[in-house]
Amino acid sequence: MPTTPFPFVRETIALRALEPGDAPLLQRYLNHPALAGRRYLPDGVSDVAPLSLRQVEGVIEQWQKDRDAWTLAVLEAACGTVAGHVRAEWEWDPHTPSVSVVISPDHQRRGLGSAALDLALRFLFEETPAHAVSMWIASWNEEAVAFARRNGFSEAGRSPRGGVHGGRFYSQIALDLLRREWRERQVNRAT
Amino acid sequence: MPLEGTLVVLREEHREDQKLLAALRNDLATQAWGRALPPDYTEEMHVKRFESLEFSYDRTSARFIIVEKASGETAGLVSYTGEQRRLSASIGIIVARPFWGTGVAYDAQETLLRFLFDELGLREVHLWTHTGLPKAIGLAERSGFGVCIRLREAVFKFGGLFDSVVMSLLREDYYARHPELTDRMPRVEE
Repeated sequence: MPTTPFPFVRETIALRALEPGDAPLLQRYLNHPALAGRRYLPDGVSDVAPLSLRQVEGVIEQWQKDRDAWTLAVLEAACGTVAGHVRAEWEWDPHTPSVSVVISPDHQRRGLGSAALDLALRFLFEETPAHAVSMWIASWNEEAVAFARRNGFSEAGRSPRGGVHGGRFYSQIALDLLRREWRERQVNRAT
Repeated sequence: MPLEGTLVVLREEHREDQKLLAALRNDLATQAWGRALPPDYTEEMHVKRFESLEFSYDRTSARFIIVEKASGETAGLVSYTGEQRRLSASIGIIVARPFWGTGVAYDAQETLLRFLFDELGLREVHLWTHTGLPKAIGLAERSGFGVCIRLREAVFKFGGLFDSVVMSLLREDYYARHPELTDRMPRVEE
């Protein structure tokens, strides 16, 4: 596994910059049917339709240009392969950044998502002035909502008609986590 | 043809409006953002932004100047952004202090909503504000918006922490409030 600067390493994962050469791996998991609608890609890139290699290269290029955000590859320590991506974004206001995590279905149920989210939160709360971090999740994605709650987030509400999925409107669920709540979780975890 | 309400017309932006728009951005009470902007915007900066606007049929946002019909004076700005076609958009409104409490803001909001629901065929309209702006929340409530998201302590402004608030108005609720209009848009299941 390549070395990465603090704080982007855990026992089970490491986060590193995405390289153009990662495009084929990303294309493979982004096009997995189980990730349709939950890819967390830049505006204008389909969240559902199959993506070409060129389109995925374009996504990586776009992410690399971000000034007030990073999107990093999640490497599974055991095998060293790219298992997903995690994004932290504070473009609107560093006081209230947002995070998202995408793990390939082939690498799920191994705690990689929680480890990646943990690193992203640690970065935001320890390396930036973040006060409240939010996550935005489609209401049909119950698994992700449960994941956010397990990791300390509370539901802040639902914006109706975030889109159409399975022939029906769905809501965008907003969840938030305050700095003091995150600190408390760290203390509880340590004791 | 401008959009016409009872008290106001909403028309396209002109170069001559840029002085007022700079003044509104430089007033902390009217700049209408969830984070403060430095009050040093100049008319020239606004003119540059205005002159950089390009023609397009592929629009997802628009800005309208609010003109009070009785006086012919420009009263502020109302806009929508982030339109997801046939689905939703976010609106914003800025009204100059002399027009506060005159009904101009409500009429401009209603005039824009009619365009968004009856012409663009949106299924939901929302807006972002915060708990430090009770007048903005009240104005939205008058048009039928309800709070759907409250992000705790997400705004620091006016020297304090406030909750960021998203308020939403569904298409069917809009038409229920406007029996003079008929909704002929096909339905999508909830």
